[in-house]
Amino acid sequence: MNEYELLSPYTAKALEYVLALSYLLLFIPFWRFVQGEAVPVHALGFGWFQVPNGVHLHVGHAWARPEGGAVEVGLDDFAHKLVGPLETVRLPEIGAPVRQGQKAFTIVAGGQPLDVLSPVDGHVVAVNEAVRAHPADALRDPYGAGWLMKVEPRWLTGNLKNLFSGDAARRFLDAAAGKLAQRLTPQLGVVLQDGGTPVHGIARALDEDHWDELARQFLEGK
Amino acid sequence: MNLNRRTLFKLAAAAGTAGVAGAAATSRASVVPAALNARGVLVDTTRCVGCRACEAACAEANALAGPEKPGDDTVFASKRATSPTAYTVVQKGSLKSPAGEDRFAKTQCMHCVQPACASGCVVKALEKTASGPVVYHADRCLGCRYCMIACPFGVPKYEFSSATPLVRKCTFCAERQAKGLVPACTEVCPSGALQFGMRADLLEEAKARIYTNPEKYVHKVYGEDEAGGTSWLYISDVPFESLKLPAGIEKKSYPELAEGALSAVPFVITLWPPLLMGMYTFSKRRDEVAAKEGDGRQEERHV
Amino acid sequence: MSEHALKPALFGGPSMRENLFLGMTFRAYLKSLLTPANAIAAAILLAGLPTIAYRFWKGLGAVTNLSQTNAWGLWVAFDVVCGVALAAGGYTVACAVYIFGQKALRPILRPAILTGFLGYALVLFGLVVDLGQPWRLPYQFFLTPGTTSVMYEVGWCVFLYLMVLGLEFAPAALEWLGLVKLRRLLGSLTIGIIVIGVTLSTLHQSSLGAFFLMTPGKLHPLWYSPFLPVFFFVSSLAAGIGMVVVESALSHRAFRDRLDPAASVDLDRITLSLAKGGAIVLFAYFFIRLQGLVASGRFDLLATGWGAWYLFEMLGFILLPSFVFAFAARRKSARLARIAGVLTVLGVILNRFNVSLIAFNWNVPDRYVPSAGEVITSLTIVTIGVLIFRWIVNRMPVVNEHPDWRGAH
Repeated sequence: MNEYELLSPYTAKALEYVLALSYLLLFIPFWRFVQGEAVPVHALGFGWFQVPNGVHLHVGHAWARPEGGAVEVGLDDFAHKLVGPLETVRLPEIGAPVRQGQKAFTIVAGGQPLDVLSPVDGHVVAVNEAVRAHPADALRDPYGAGWLMKVEPRWLTGNLKNLFSGDAARRFLDAAAGKLAQRLTPQLGVVLQDGGTPVHGIARALDEDHWDELARQFLEGK
Repeated sequence: MNLNRRTLFKLAAAAGTAGVAGAAATSRASVVPAALNARGVLVDTTRCVGCRACEAACAEANALAGPEKPGDDTVFASKRATSPTAYTVVQKGSLKSPAGEDRFAKTQCMHCVQPACASGCVVKALEKTASGPVVYHADRCLGCRYCMIACPFGVPKYEFSSATPLVRKCTFCAERQAKGLVPACTEVCPSGALQFGMRADLLEEAKARIYTNPEKYVHKVYGEDEAGGTSWLYISDVPFESLKLPAGIEKKSYPELAEGALSAVPFVITLWPPLLMGMYTFSKRRDEVAAKEGDGRQEERHV
Repeated sequence: MSEHALKPALFGGPSMRENLFLGMTFRAYLKSLLTPANAIAAAILLAGLPTIAYRFWKGLGAVTNLSQTNAWGLWVAFDVVCGVALAAGGYTVACAVYIFGQKALRPILRPAILTGFLGYALVLFGLVVDLGQPWRLPYQFFLTPGTTSVMYEVGWCVFLYLMVLGLEFAPAALEWLGLVKLRRLLGSLTIGIIVIGVTLSTLHQSSLGAFFLMTPGKLHPLWYSPFLPVFFFVSSLAAGIGMVVVESALSHRAFRDRLDPAASVDLDRITLSLAKGGAIVLFAYFFIRLQGLVASGRFDLLATGWGAWYLFEMLGFILLPSFVFAFAARRKSARLARIAGVLTVLGVILNRFNVSLIAFNWNVPDRYVPSAGEVITSLTIVTIGVLIFRWIVNRMPVVNEHPDWRGAH
């Protein structure tokens, strides 16, 4: 006997249409759920990350401020918020040479060591002992008390040409913020808009497993 | 007739269409509808005594080793099956006749009118002939065993123990029939349970027997529309399932079940390329427009 | 080995030795092969290759548990039917990248095509092992074509598609060998090749389902449907997405040192895009399967043991991965997406096994269980595939770009 004749054709057809309609009704919300809410890019990223006048930013997010004969060097606001509170700062020895674009020092956050590139050429004349003792404090005043080392520059004018300052620096940070914005969830977007920062750094909030790779992309100037 | 260019074109077009139609027809030609001169066998199980002479005759005609336990009725203790070396076996029914007699049924290839095996064979190793038998060409078979999967009666058997295995099943003695002889089993049957003839005639005969003895027979000819009709027809006075004849066989031919899928193929081949090229052109256009509008930021597109 | 992998001199380098032995001396190369993973692979091959040889010497019965009632076993169910479904990543990603213009998926395109190409080659290998007289394979094309058979259509499609995949992958090989003119010629034919590939894939993915249209009495009613071809086609899309998610994650880890630092391979972002596609496809697939159930009207069967198994497949391996993909896309968690990918792949394997092995012949007392020989053979075939994949990726520009052809693929 043909089993397909068991159900009356009218009931079967009615059921099929009902199922199809239910599917269509369910499909719309499902699609929207999967696509995620649109995070308005223009509303984010502008002016989140600060950079004061007189500070020159390197593409690897280190900053340089010429003061007298030396250059003060630190890590910018964006990088600090990205990696979160620092656990250790491994600064070079006094007298060690540094080259622009080459590794200057290492920060450790969330158990991961991350190299930071030097913004200038020269040799180290001083390091911030206070930050070395309490690394987490650097986050609070990245461009002031959070300075990390002082460098006697070899060729300052040349170096500065490769650094961002003023409006260019702000645009640079906005672009970096824009790259992050593409990965944001709505909740995180709200947090950042309100001026807050995730406790362990934005990178960790964006990608628990590979946050260090994400951080490195920015710190290596890519 | 004036053979100018116009006539030539008309002829060419007609020939072309006929050619295509012919090709389309031949693509179905290995399944031949019940032709008027198709042979069949009527198995009247009320006459079968279970002597198994048919098994012996079959083995001899096909040069096989003789039947299992000849003359020994213990062979009926369990359900039997054909094998690569036994093209036909007689089954004993689980029910006795109303008169208290044992009932038997000879099982073998049913030589369906529209066989699933032949339609599924990828190299036409199994082929339905116009006169009825579904024949096997051992020189073509590549051993995919789709015929075994497709056959609803579970007929084709495979030589799994051979390094060059073949499919084995009842041939309906096609070679003997070609010489004007009758199948070996029908020739030796002593009780007249097996009757060879034209399928249409045998169907009439079967129905006549049922009509004239309505209390005796089950009111059905097994094989009339099983699988769309088979060449081997059965009538019985006990339920067919008790004779190990499979129940649940579709009333329409099995190749018909695959026809829808097969006929969709040319449509997919025709429609997919323009659809895909259309989508390609559309998305290329969209990218070009986006690039022109100077959105330099957008190097990649996101889903 | 890692430093050599990145040196441009490796690509189409002056010496075949550099090409073949990754820049090492033959001895050093052989030594580098002594790893635990290779030991396992060697053990599998050591058991499997003689088994295959024995199968050809003594016949199928000597190695398999096939019987007159169960004519198709593990080799057909896994190597052929599952194999074709899991190689679907080739056409789904190619279609997404070229037809729909999703350039973000470019970095995973070549690995997906390679997986597809090797997948189909392994299907052919599995088929040759399973067929009674495989040397007669060409008969269906050149001698006595069985044009009424679904298998005939599958045969042609797979044959042609294997060549198409070869053409789709050839640019990578040509770049490796430095054959510039041929490489450029192929590049100009890409779209045509892709369109043919997608058409052929649609046909044979669905036809694998069409095989079972003629078996309503043997396949359990909860799985049998006149719409089997549609089910197989749609689930092949899901299989392709799932396989690509899984394969790219594994490759990313296995070939980490080969990955281009210059290419912005953000695998997590790609995985999340795929997750969105996977969620939608599986959602739709679930509903068309439901439609199949309604069309059959056999709700009574849901209360049986088979019904429970059916619901297990439907809810646990179709609906669940759909939701997991959806959550992964929403929460932007690549890890969740990978879990969903694994579930999807397992689900497709389960479905193919159900249709061809488990729910097939469900009412027969003599049920089939694969023999050790069959299992080791299938394992061997997969191992060979993985080894070839690794050999190719370690030499040709698959997960990274050839320095001479940057941005060209």
